[in-house]
Amino acid sequence: MSVAELKERHMAAAETVNSLKERLKQKRLLLLDTDVARYARSQGQTRVSFGLTDLVCCRTLQGHTGKVYSMDWTPEKNRIVSASQDGRLIVWNALTSQKTHAIKLPCAWVMTCAFSPSGQSVACGGLDSMCSIFNLNSQTDKDGNLPVSRVLSGHKGYVSSCQYVPDEDTHLITASGDQTCVLWDITTGLRTSVFGGEFQSGHTADVLSVSINGSNSRMFISGSCDSTARLWDTRVASRAVRTFHGHEGDVNTVKFFPDGHRFGSGSDDGTCRLFDIRTGHQLQEYNQQHDDNEAPHVTSIAFSTSGRLLFAGYTNGDCYVWDTLLAEVVLNLGKLQNSHDSRISCLGLSADGSALCTGSWDSNLKIWAFGGHRRVH
Amino acid sequence: MSLEVAIVVEDAVEYSFAMEYHGPPITRELPRAVPINVDRIPVASVVSPLPFPDSLSLPVVQPISAADIIGKKLIKDLKLSSSSAELLTVSPTSVIAFESQNNEVSEGSYSKELGLGTETSVSPSSVINASVESETENRSSNDICALSGELSSDFECCNRDDVLSGVNERGYSSISHDEFVGGVGSSGVLESSDSFEKSMEFSGSLRKSRLSGAYKETLDFNESNRTDWESNESVLSVDYLSSRVSSRKFGDGNQDSGGGDVRRAPVVTFCDIESDDENVDDDYSRSEPEVVRMKKEPAAKVRKGACYRCLKGNRFTEKEVCMVCDAKYCNNCVLRAMGSMPEGRKCVTCIGYPISELKRASLGKCSRMLKRLLNDLEVKQIMKAEKFCEVNQLPPEYISVNGRPLYHDELVMLQSCSNPPKKLKPGNYWYDKVSGLWGKVGQKPLQIITPHLNVGGPVKANASNGNTQVYINGREITKVELRMLKLAGVQCAGNPHFWVNEDGSYQEEGQKNTKGFIWGKAGTKLLCAVLSLPVPSKSSDLCGEQISSSISRSMPDYLEQRVIQKLLLIGYSGSGTSTIFKQARILYKDIPFSEDEREHITLVIQSHVYNYIGILLEGRERFEEESLHELRQHQSCDGPDGTTPAGDVDGNGEETPYSIGPRLKAFSDWLLKIMASGTLEAIFPAACREYAPLVEELCSSVAFKATYKRRHELESLPSISSYFLEQAVEILKPDYKPSDLDILYAEHVTSSNGLACVDFSFPEPVYDGDDSGDLHDSLLRYQLIRLQAKGFGENCKWLEMLEDVRVVIFCVSLSDYDQFALDGDGNRVNKMMLSKKFFENMVTHPTFDQMEFLLLLNKLDSFEEKIEQVPLTKCEWFDDFHPVISRNRSNSNNSNHPTLGQLGFHYVAVKFKRLFAALTGRKLYASAVKALDPTSVDTALKYAREVLSWDEERPNVSLSEYSIYSTEASSFSH
Repeated sequence: MSVAELKERHMAAAETVNSLKERLKQKRLLLLDTDVARYARSQGQTRVSFGLTDLVCCRTLQGHTGKVYSMDWTPEKNRIVSASQDGRLIVWNALTSQKTHAIKLPCAWVMTCAFSPSGQSVACGGLDSMCSIFNLNSQTDKDGNLPVSRVLSGHKGYVSSCQYVPDEDTHLITASGDQTCVLWDITTGLRTSVFGGEFQSGHTADVLSVSINGSNSRMFISGSCDSTARLWDTRVASRAVRTFHGHEGDVNTVKFFPDGHRFGSGSDDGTCRLFDIRTGHQLQEYNQQHDDNEAPHVTSIAFSTSGRLLFAGYTNGDCYVWDTLLAEVVLNLGKLQNSHDSRISCLGLSADGSALCTGSWDSNLKIWAFGGHRRVH
Repeated sequence: MSLEVAIVVEDAVEYSFAMEYHGPPITRELPRAVPINVDRIPVASVVSPLPFPDSLSLPVVQPISAADIIGKKLIKDLKLSSSSAELLTVSPTSVIAFESQNNEVSEGSYSKELGLGTETSVSPSSVINASVESETENRSSNDICALSGELSSDFECCNRDDVLSGVNERGYSSISHDEFVGGVGSSGVLESSDSFEKSMEFSGSLRKSRLSGAYKETLDFNESNRTDWESNESVLSVDYLSSRVSSRKFGDGNQDSGGGDVRRAPVVTFCDIESDDENVDDDYSRSEPEVVRMKKEPAAKVRKGACYRCLKGNRFTEKEVCMVCDAKYCNNCVLRAMGSMPEGRKCVTCIGYPISELKRASLGKCSRMLKRLLNDLEVKQIMKAEKFCEVNQLPPEYISVNGRPLYHDELVMLQSCSNPPKKLKPGNYWYDKVSGLWGKVGQKPLQIITPHLNVGGPVKANASNGNTQVYINGREITKVELRMLKLAGVQCAGNPHFWVNEDGSYQEEGQKNTKGFIWGKAGTKLLCAVLSLPVPSKSSDLCGEQISSSISRSMPDYLEQRVIQKLLLIGYSGSGTSTIFKQARILYKDIPFSEDEREHITLVIQSHVYNYIGILLEGRERFEEESLHELRQHQSCDGPDGTTPAGDVDGNGEETPYSIGPRLKAFSDWLLKIMASGTLEAIFPAACREYAPLVEELCSSVAFKATYKRRHELESLPSISSYFLEQAVEILKPDYKPSDLDILYAEHVTSSNGLACVDFSFPEPVYDGDDSGDLHDSLLRYQLIRLQAKGFGENCKWLEMLEDVRVVIFCVSLSDYDQFALDGDGNRVNKMMLSKKFFENMVTHPTFDQMEFLLLLNKLDSFEEKIEQVPLTKCEWFDDFHPVISRNRSNSNNSNHPTLGQLGFHYVAVKFKRLFAALTGRKLYASAVKALDPTSVDTALKYAREVLSWDEERPNVSLSEYSIYSTEASSFSH
């Protein structure tokens, strides 16, 4: 078989795939008789309403000197780790708003950070294509810097996102610009499995985020520049369980819904979407119409503990609180007092769901929570 | 006269436009200028032509040149007070005249004017005095000077909020005050009173305090006020911190421009900081933060001893104090009021302001309260931030060494030397660079610090105010020192001039021989202790080497951020960025590669060599088949050419130069099989030891050598491989250690993926003379960041992380013009065109908008060879390359006739420059480089440094000079 012939057949196959995809899309549209919002309205649901003091900025974490790119909460205590362009990871006590650790990174271009489930160590990754683990209990060197306790190297592109596998301090999943996700064994520093890459069912562009299913930690979602999100089973690295189409831009962020059956995604097309992992269907699109044609990109999302609220950060500094049922914006944190001056780059909900933390390019992090006086009945 | 006054007022209004604000976001509410009610501005009435002496040209202010600011100011102030005293007869004009005077000089904001107005117009001082005293707890002094500062700050606040209500709330009730308030509101009418003259007096003293600053430089022109100022130093230094900064500015005239203090108080600057010519406006823009600074009094006036936030508690409750504004907070409030304390213990609103100098001593010393509230780690972080954050650092202008205020770099050097001055406080110091003696001006030496630091000016003879006529290193020593010298046995008869070195050895001036060591005797040290004179510390013995190491010592972060200049090195794959990167490491680092790296590199090089051998063996098979085929054709005499497929030839015992023995054949087949399966790298370096003898045998075989001769026919064999293949046997030995050159030549050895960076500084050029410019250069650090082209997709979002890069160094391999590679769609594209496309992408990327680009045309050496054989027009982009070459090629060595290679280089450079100009409208810097040649890379990186410094200086250079630098070559027809 000659090269030309092979090429021809490849072209033909690619065309078939595309037409099949198109048919699939059509079929889905046909099957999609309603979305969440329409159904909820027909059921008489009313939107969540916010009082003046229900969500206010109650702490400002100042200390970074560069854009904040990523943050993560500890699962048990009220601590936060944040990564900034100033080349530092800072571990905060969210209650006192004080720093407990300021870790100077060997590579300043950090894009992501994560707290381990035990709260003993933090991980970060960035343009150096490595994921570095710092044990917060280890001794600082003579300059007061915390030494790297483990380097996970093997990615061929930047590390865009990392998350610890819940309840396991030894496993971590990273997403990378080399179109793959990797499950790491931290104790050995080796790759347990690689998702995507040379395999055809992997992402075809940079992977930007991962989210591990909270109720079934074997499943995780990845969002990519190929404008798809993919569901993976860590036991089956060879192919994605499912691919979710719909977005018309890079999928910047994915986050599992608290019940683990759905996940949300945010994209450069300015929309957030809710997908069901069992059916593969898109359940709802969250899109605020903008007057100008250039919609701000979604940078980061988080769900409230019940799943009723979706917090989404945008590149224009807005931070919408969506009612997930009615697909309406119920609050815009970007327009509240003491809001950020610049793009919201990351946000996350504390483990107990009582506080939201947002990180911004204005180099601050803010903690939003109930700000009124609780009335005891 | 009055007409002139009116004109001046108008001028002042015109000047008082605020500039657009670009600073950091302000969290509190901005003060609003009270709109002027035109009707209420008192019209100047006709003045009776009586009492103006002709010499008094008061209302018309001559433009003030920078040099004689002090002189003129003093005179003016004096004039002002005297003249306004005279003008008292003609109120209200007098006040307006005075104010307009201020306006003229200050050109500040409206509130500023008001502030000055109030300062000058505070009449019956006793009343206000009392009221203020009752109000504020921390200002117990009833000094006039403090009071006027106090008041002005109070009224500052009033202006911000609401003049009338603000004042009323505070319960001012005296008649004179109502008038005064009216005066503020309408910027003018004020009735003169008996004490006005007095108020003028202390406004004068205020001025004086600004001019003299904390240094108590004797600028006194009014003895009585001087005592006021001194007695109140403590309060003033709080209130007039930034005014002191400005007073320094007056003091040094032109020499100290730099935005130092502006940076330190990054609040509202209404004036152009960039303007380098120091004039009056500039000085006032410097003093502008003062206005805001005043507000850094605690916002709320609280009961004595209470917490400033919850207003509870008394003086016995434990409280934490803000380092800036002196506000005190109780246990419950401190965390709320101070937030996350990014700069230590400061109120949230005080973040970004310099700390009160009075509290410098407590910097980084934690109180018990914080320790109780927070855990150890948190406290440690706060104290670290407090000590090391930039805004809390000692402002260099406050320290004057040998009569010259320090620059930032000098202060850093002073503080980071091996034996720094202890407890450095603002003030005037003298420093004897030869011996390291250090002391306050007018006093005996305090300490012996590291000598030979290039800080401040030369030591003056009267630095320590000695009168003994005995000199040490040009400084007249004090009596105490002389006594010490005498007791130490130094001959001091005849008023000698000594030359004392850092080790204590001394010689008389003009003589060569060392006469002895001052501190040599044990008794001398004891003696020094008795006389409280310094002795050299032990560590100063090894100071010689430490000077150099102090420069390379790790810097505090706030400095590092500013000093490091980032250079981004990018280029299409194969353009030689990694070679340049490695070359930079070898050039500028003492240890270019760590042991771990070398170990890794060894493995990489070895597997490369196996790879090269594999390619050669593959070639050998092909050559063998071809030659067998030829042989067969020869045997079968006349067959048609090349029709028989090579595969048909079976091994039939025929010998060709390319045949190898069965053992080697087996090895070769095995190697090729591994290569085909792509697991070469996994197997090989580990199996080195085992196969080394086989490889050695292989390399010495005839067939291998014959193949090696025809290596140019093997396309997949990189040209660099010959360097390694020639020493293959050595490399494949298990104990092989790569040399720097090997590393330089090797491919794919720098931190495999993504980004790599190296910090370096250019070694100091070797020329003598204490040029301060060279000092600044050596402090500059550069960071060369190399990115692999592989990562650049269509939309590389992460490029925005590199926005703080100063220069993008774009690397293009010149010799690529006839090379082809597969692009993303699998088409064969000229590599030069791929480079061009990549270049376009980068240049037009929003992150690199307005960034300087330096084009490095790499591999000039191989380009020069290649262009003689392959025409440059092989690349479609260069199809109009028609160089005019003299027929007589033998003359090509002549320097008048550029070689074809040089012509080609210039042509390509111009092509890129035109492309760049078309895309951005700016100028592209270009340079040729041979990455394998260290000096060439050094030159290229120094060129990048020039681009940087040129970028910084450009605003100062006029356009006409600009055109000189046009490097656009026009020798090519287009």
